[in-house]
Amino acid sequence: MRPLTPRRIAGICALLAGVLFVVVVLSLKVGAYPISVRDVAMTLVRGALGHWNSIPSSDRLIVFGLRLPRIALGILVGAALSVSGASFQALLRNPLADPYVLGVSSGAALGAILSLVWLQQYPWSMQALAFLGALATIAAVYFLGRRKGQLDSTTLLLAGIITASFLSAIIMFLMTTVSGRDLRGMAFWLMGDLATPPAIGLGFLFVILLIGIGAIYTTSSDLNLILTGEQEAHHLGVNVPRVKLVVYVSASLLTGLAVSVSGAIGYVGLLVPHVMRMLFGSDYRVLIPASAIGGAIAVALADTLARTVVAPTELPVGAVTAAIGAPVFIYLLRRRFA
Amino acid sequence: MRRNRMGGACGVIALLCGACVCAAQNKIALAAARQQTQQEAKSQSKVETRLKTREVTDEAGRRVAVPVEVHRIVALAPNLTEIVYALGAQDRLVGVSNYSDSPPEAKSKPRIGMPMNPNLEAIVAVHPDIVLMTTEGNRRETADQLARLGIAVYATKPYSVESMLESIEHIGGVIGATAQAESVVANLRSRLDALKSKLAGVPVARVFFVVGENPLISLGEHTFIADALRYAGAQSVVRAKQDWPQIGMETVVRLNPDYLVFASSGFGGEDSTAKQLSQLRSEAGWRELAAVRAGRVVVVSDEIDLPAPGLIDAIEKLARQLHPNAFADAAQHAGVRQLPVFVPMRAHLQSAVSHDSCRKAIACGR
Repeated sequence: MRPLTPRRIAGICALLAGVLFVVVVLSLKVGAYPISVRDVAMTLVRGALGHWNSIPSSDRLIVFGLRLPRIALGILVGAALSVSGASFQALLRNPLADPYVLGVSSGAALGAILSLVWLQQYPWSMQALAFLGALATIAAVYFLGRRKGQLDSTTLLLAGIITASFLSAIIMFLMTTVSGRDLRGMAFWLMGDLATPPAIGLGFLFVILLIGIGAIYTTSSDLNLILTGEQEAHHLGVNVPRVKLVVYVSASLLTGLAVSVSGAIGYVGLLVPHVMRMLFGSDYRVLIPASAIGGAIAVALADTLARTVVAPTELPVGAVTAAIGAPVFIYLLRRRFA
Repeated sequence: MRRNRMGGACGVIALLCGACVCAAQNKIALAAARQQTQQEAKSQSKVETRLKTREVTDEAGRRVAVPVEVHRIVALAPNLTEIVYALGAQDRLVGVSNYSDSPPEAKSKPRIGMPMNPNLEAIVAVHPDIVLMTTEGNRRETADQLARLGIAVYATKPYSVESMLESIEHIGGVIGATAQAESVVANLRSRLDALKSKLAGVPVARVFFVVGENPLISLGEHTFIADALRYAGAQSVVRAKQDWPQIGMETVVRLNPDYLVFASSGFGGEDSTAKQLSQLRSEAGWRELAAVRAGRVVVVSDEIDLPAPGLIDAIEKLARQLHPNAFADAAQHAGVRQLPVFVPMRAHLQSAVSHDSCRKAIACGR
């Protein structure tokens, strides 16, 4: 393995950003409304220069009103899920950890649903309760996953799966007993839905995303050491409890954020960090930014498929990530242990 | 240190991307606002009547600016498609939701996706003057998003037969087909009145209405189907506050309904009723029910699932199957009895009572 220089990190980021750009352009081009690449480019350039009135109004509506916000939301959700997956994998020293498997997504979904039941008038409450739900769930799973004071890999995953199914049961209970039609759209939302723009605005979500990813990035060298064992990291001078606190809170924040705006989209947090590890090595200094951009690519691409494969009918994006993610994951597993 | 600088660089790039998106969004809002003021200016000078709007309150309580002249309509649910056809406005219908199969001609209209999850691009692409929605089959988020894109959305809220009739009148008003709506509704009302006079004095049938068989789902008291059953001389044995409750087989046994009513695709009627009955007689659980043993099973066409004009057809067919004697009797005096009875009654209902108490009079009068 070549040494990890800042130059190499920047190169990898630039490469992935290039792929992301191609995906974004592709995604802006395809859809139920036919629009040529040239028109997309013209619309973007004119928009960037501020010549709004020279753009045909339906092109402007499609590109800036519908596709771009949706792609931006997909990028945001993908980056958040993927980085939180990568950090759970380090902290729990378990390659199968991911917000979905650990039940953190279910906790966030329950929080978001409770906010819809009780606090619908406050758009903030959805993100806030989803974050609290994610945080409470990871705390519960963490304590359930310990045996004799040690974090046990198998116990932890079982604890996560059981917590997830318990939380799903509560969600099902709420969905079937709370009458009123607000919860019926939830079935779609739970499968993952990027079509609905968040009530609190994309810009604000981007700021939270950057804070969360930034906080995790500052701990990336420590995460590398923690991967070898908490005891060893402690002896090497890592303030393990502090790092764990920062990463748990940040990863829960990212999961809560993603789930509250898009529902539960599975496999991104599990699969993308694995692919990035295979491509660029397991050093967290490169894995965190690579996972962020890689996750953005994955979800933007999945959502493009979701809204075009059987157009004009739209699939839930969670169904697309699972349909692609599960076989790819099995392939990776078998190749690794072959 | 160096890696931190790298992280900083990544962060800055990401921030820039975020900032671009925000800026773009603000610009759209600005451009939209600018366009709106232009629109207002135009409408004031009465250059183009098409841009003129008037404000109405829809059935969900939203204030909507509706174009005065509606040339292009999108119907986001199958019942709305059927209503637009009933109003004779099908030529202006430029997009319909999936499952819009009634009337059959509607199948050839451009599809814009599932009612719960429509394709917004496909809607924008057909340049609608108005999008018709329902609070039952569509999501509030869809309405909000279309409104944000500057598309007028009118939402209906079907909860009873009477509210469905009112929705037809409202939609007629919104799309500029008031006279047509009035005649459609008057015709449907007279049919309901005729039905009511036929069923006067007939004992109410206690029915178990099956919305879905697996899992077994029935209906609550506040649904339009429960109301439709009352018009057909029936009463659901399920008393639930929830709209579409899941029911256990044991509950059905305990409630011991007189009739089982199924909705099926196709026309319902005797053929499918016989088929359904023979199937139920072969299934454990179902075959023990008194209603099945006595052959009191009715299959109605799935028109009963749609709050649209076809619902009245379904009510009539259901009433015929549940109370054949009432109709056999009426058939003997057909034409002689009907007219003098219902004409004065309609006049009485229309002049003296509001729509709501009219519904109550019909539903609970017997």
